[in-house]
Amino acid sequence: MTHATTPAFVGTRSTGARFWANNKATLIGCGILVALMIVVPFTASSSVMNIVVFAMIFALPAIGLNLLMGLAGQVSLGQAAFFAIGAYTHAIMLTKLDLPGPVAATIGVLAAMLVALLVGLPLMRLRGHYLALATLGLGFIVMIGVREWDVTGRTTGIYGISRPTVFGIPIDNSGFFLWFVTPFVVIGLILALNLTHSRAGRALSAVNDSELAAESLGVNTYALRLKVFVLSAGFAGLGGVFYAYQVAIVSPTTAEFHLSVSILLMVVIGGLGSVWGAVAGAFLVQFLGEGMRDVIPAIFPGATGEVQLLGYGIVLILVILLLPGGLYQAATTLWHKLPFAGKRPPGDAHAHTPGSASELDTTIPQLPLVSTPVAAGEPILVIEGLTKRYGGVVAVNDVSLTVPAGSILGLIGPNGAGKTTCFNMISGALTPSAGTVTFLGQVISGRKPHVAAAHGLTRTFQNLQVFTSTDVVGNVYMGRYRKGRAGVLRGMLGLQSAEQSGHRAASYEILQSMRLTDAADDSASDLSFGKQRIMEVCRALAAEPALLLLDEPMAGLSGAEREVMAELLRRLRTAGLTIVLVEHDVAQVMSLADHVAVLDDGVLIAHGDPESVRNDPAVVVAYLGTDLDEAEAELTELEEHA
Amino acid sequence: MLTDFLQLTVAGLSQGSVYALLAVGLIAVYTVRHVINIAQGEFAMLAGLGSAWLVAAGMPLLLGVLVAILTVTLVAIAMERLIIARVKKLTPLTSIILTLGVSTLLQAIMLLAWGPEAKGVPLFPGTNVLIGGVSIRSQEFWMIGALVIVGGGIVLFYEKSRWGKALRACAEQPVAARIVGISPVTASILAFAIAGFVGGVAGVVASPIYLSLWSGGVLLGLKGFVAAVLGGFVSFRAAIVGALLLGMIEAYVAGYVSSGLRDGAAFLILILVLVVRPQGLVLKPTAVRV
Repeated sequence: MTHATTPAFVGTRSTGARFWANNKATLIGCGILVALMIVVPFTASSSVMNIVVFAMIFALPAIGLNLLMGLAGQVSLGQAAFFAIGAYTHAIMLTKLDLPGPVAATIGVLAAMLVALLVGLPLMRLRGHYLALATLGLGFIVMIGVREWDVTGRTTGIYGISRPTVFGIPIDNSGFFLWFVTPFVVIGLILALNLTHSRAGRALSAVNDSELAAESLGVNTYALRLKVFVLSAGFAGLGGVFYAYQVAIVSPTTAEFHLSVSILLMVVIGGLGSVWGAVAGAFLVQFLGEGMRDVIPAIFPGATGEVQLLGYGIVLILVILLLPGGLYQAATTLWHKLPFAGKRPPGDAHAHTPGSASELDTTIPQLPLVSTPVAAGEPILVIEGLTKRYGGVVAVNDVSLTVPAGSILGLIGPNGAGKTTCFNMISGALTPSAGTVTFLGQVISGRKPHVAAAHGLTRTFQNLQVFTSTDVVGNVYMGRYRKGRAGVLRGMLGLQSAEQSGHRAASYEILQSMRLTDAADDSASDLSFGKQRIMEVCRALAAEPALLLLDEPMAGLSGAEREVMAELLRRLRTAGLTIVLVEHDVAQVMSLADHVAVLDDGVLIAHGDPESVRNDPAVVVAYLGTDLDEAEAELTELEEHA
Repeated sequence: MLTDFLQLTVAGLSQGSVYALLAVGLIAVYTVRHVINIAQGEFAMLAGLGSAWLVAAGMPLLLGVLVAILTVTLVAIAMERLIIARVKKLTPLTSIILTLGVSTLLQAIMLLAWGPEAKGVPLFPGTNVLIGGVSIRSQEFWMIGALVIVGGGIVLFYEKSRWGKALRACAEQPVAARIVGISPVTASILAFAIAGFVGGVAGVVASPIYLSLWSGGVLLGLKGFVAAVLGGFVSFRAAIVGALLLGMIEAYVAGYVSSGLRDGAAFLILILVLVVRPQGLVLKPTAVRV
């Protein structure tokens, strides 16, 4: 995905042309898929036809699982369970309750989503391997459940499902069935593609790069992941609905673990995070499975049963070892090697003008917007008795501070004094052991970072938290997250392009204010350390915060860059922004800050204007490590020299 | 009444011993590599089917069992060397896919080699015992004994021996472990060897009663995982207690409710535990430095 269009061009094109430009690949791809599916029934043999029909059915759960793995970064080993729930519910509604097809199908899909919601509510809070193993367990529970329950027909399952009738035409052969299922796959595909490009999709991909940074920009990771999980179950349920129609029997084998493995294989072959890859993977796995079932008994006489698993296992291992990005990776690599592939003109992207900053031109072209919810001087952030204990170690001990709006507070102290720990408790990354943080009258301590972000508090990080899978402007664009509204549903329907282009334009303006426009389209991980730091500040500013927490914003910056940064911060303060910064460069802090707070060993030892703090003997002791008398003597000595 | 209960308890304890051995293998690998090995159960099935085949071909029982366990240990080491060690950045996502791939491959190989039917190793030598109306089969002694000797041996190895301590250090602090004298590569091989060995032992002692099936490993391995989760996934002792509890709960469900629901119990417990006390069960919180 390259987003080469800069906002300047967007307004000049007609809506139709813009729609075509933004969706060209999707439209061409869907056109080819539909054309193929129209032609196949006339040309293919019945066995190929059969494979194609099942590939289209399984493309649905594969698209769903791909969303879960690509966007939410979680694996489900129980996709077949949701597939089975959809199939069984649909079959029961049709055969036992005689409901009309569309109603039964809808209930089938909803049932799968409901189960996912119930399982996901507690489990999506957990990280790592838990969801995978819990969904694996769910698969066994569903299989045991349908085998033991009378309503699901125990081991025989449910049969006698009649084929649907569309516009009076009975869907009674494979050709008609393919045409019946294709529109649903195409719609599902488009919805999924829209979602990956939407506000929610970008937020989730940011979460996969750095959960902490994404949350401190206002992303509610848990809620988004849960929605994607439920959605992926919905796709699986829809696949199950079509399966019930096509096979006309639903038996416990639909919930089998091996089916989940094959759906996972489709996603892995296609490439994680590539919706088209999932569809291609569905076709490949169906053909691979059929091929293996033919070939293996020829090599090993007497082999019966699920022999295709041999191929599945080998392919799973080889893809991860040799081609972790799957077909999608192979295709993009190939595409970039083609002579006519869209390459950037040489020197375009990397046309940095080194030394432009060294002229010490500190004028700032355009100041980013800030929000000023309270008048300057009013308290915006109130910290009371903030304490953090790790076992017996007290990292931060009973710190109380009030930050007035429209001022800069510098937080200094020796290494290990607890500055970053303080920051983490203020922003919500850490839960305090005691004490409260009140921001704009709301207690935000102990809540997740996205809560503070929603109220207008953003931060940067001492250890950079860059979204490496996108470019520089994409990083800053994520800062706009809190200013957007579009959720998962609107994202899927593609109803947010106006909102998105507005945010894009704003992101470019902010980059301009810190002179990063040249690097806007570079991959964020290619930037120098100092530039990445500036980019993080831009990203935080993009959220139009009321309070900005900067954790060592000057570290790694050149002298000229520091000047620009300092000037930007001063002007932002004048515009009404409140800033709290942790910084090692004490001289810089003293010249910038209106107030300075000094932490030593987790205790607030001084707080006041820069001049009085500079002369505070306790501060001198903290920095020079001598005792109080010696420090006072040294101070007098210094003063005498001056 | 009480006899029934005790009878079920004995069955549960012997079955739980098998889960405990698998949990030991899972934890050994997890603590060193942060990989949850989905193929752990396949190690057991491979050893069971392999030794059944060797014995059927005329090999003496104990020799066949020994050969099978050692072969499976080598398979586990090969898995580490050829597959796991080759991935530079092992995320939870890739490690699950990879070990699932190995699990699927091993299943297919067992299916092709020994067919789709379940097979059992002949009963191990010994006599059944009747105590106060409760009959204990000799094979159940073997199962519980395997846990006591092998599981206990591994716990002692980890807690007393230099290498075992280094392995534990490796999980917590790779650099420190190197100073103690064990490289991460050796530690990883050793962890997989332990996983293969305990999996193999579990497979052969359970096979005479519970039979071995090409596709049975996933379910068995997952129960080992449930046990490990019950025990917090860091401590062998806690996991062993968790496994024995799980075995007993399963036996009571099968005995008092319905034998068909027996397997469901484990996973309901898993989901319930994850729901009720997830914070206590976090595998190993990877602290994010900011």
